[in-house]
Amino acid sequence: MTQSELGKAIGVTRQTIAAIEQDRYSPSLESAFRIARVFGVGLEDVFYWAD
Amino acid sequence: MLRIFNIVSEEFTMPFQEKSAWVMSIALFAGAAFYFKAVVEASAALGYLAPPNVPTLVSYAVILIVIAVVGHIVITVLAPDDANEATDERERRANDRAGHLSGYVLGIGVLLALGVYLFTYDGNVMFYVLFGSLMLSQLVEYGLLVLLLRTRIF
Repeated sequence: MTQSELGKAIGVTRQTIAAIEQDRYSPSLESAFRIARVFGVGLEDVFYWAD
Repeated sequence: MLRIFNIVSEEFTMPFQEKSAWVMSIALFAGAAFYFKAVVEASAALGYLAPPNVPTLVSYAVILIVIAVVGHIVITVLAPDDANEATDERERRANDRAGHLSGYVLGIGVLLALGVYLFTYDGNVMFYVLFGSLMLSQLVEYGLLVLLLRTRIF
């Protein structure tokens, strides 16, 4: 899956997906859930928190 | 942080919002350069600060509008799909943040103009400080928008 495809699937731009991957942007809860749903996994399988 | 699930990274392209910000920055900069050059030349000819006049302001507005319109047509034609995309949550946040911060610039400019008037009672200077603050705040807004879209929204 490309960044564009993931972006279209959840309603954000490709650049936003790139920013999320590069830790330059934390998505909204809604977008985070949508990303998890696209991959068919739970939220904590997709996002993790590192202190 | 996002755990990557085989997402294929693509070549970096500027989002439409950023391209638009660059176009507006160029338009504002060109307009400001024209306007203040005209004021300086008129003032030099008069030997004192030239009062603001409508024809110069109209010329400034025309330059701003022409560059903005032509620039946006060009960036839209070059990437029509990007232009048709709605702004997403990150772009809206960047817009809001840039607008908020540029408001401080305008506010400081207004206070400065009021202070200048209180000390000089010169309406012409007040006008130029106000107008300059407006231009500067807009330039700061678009500059911040580019920065926020490229780095991190702070």
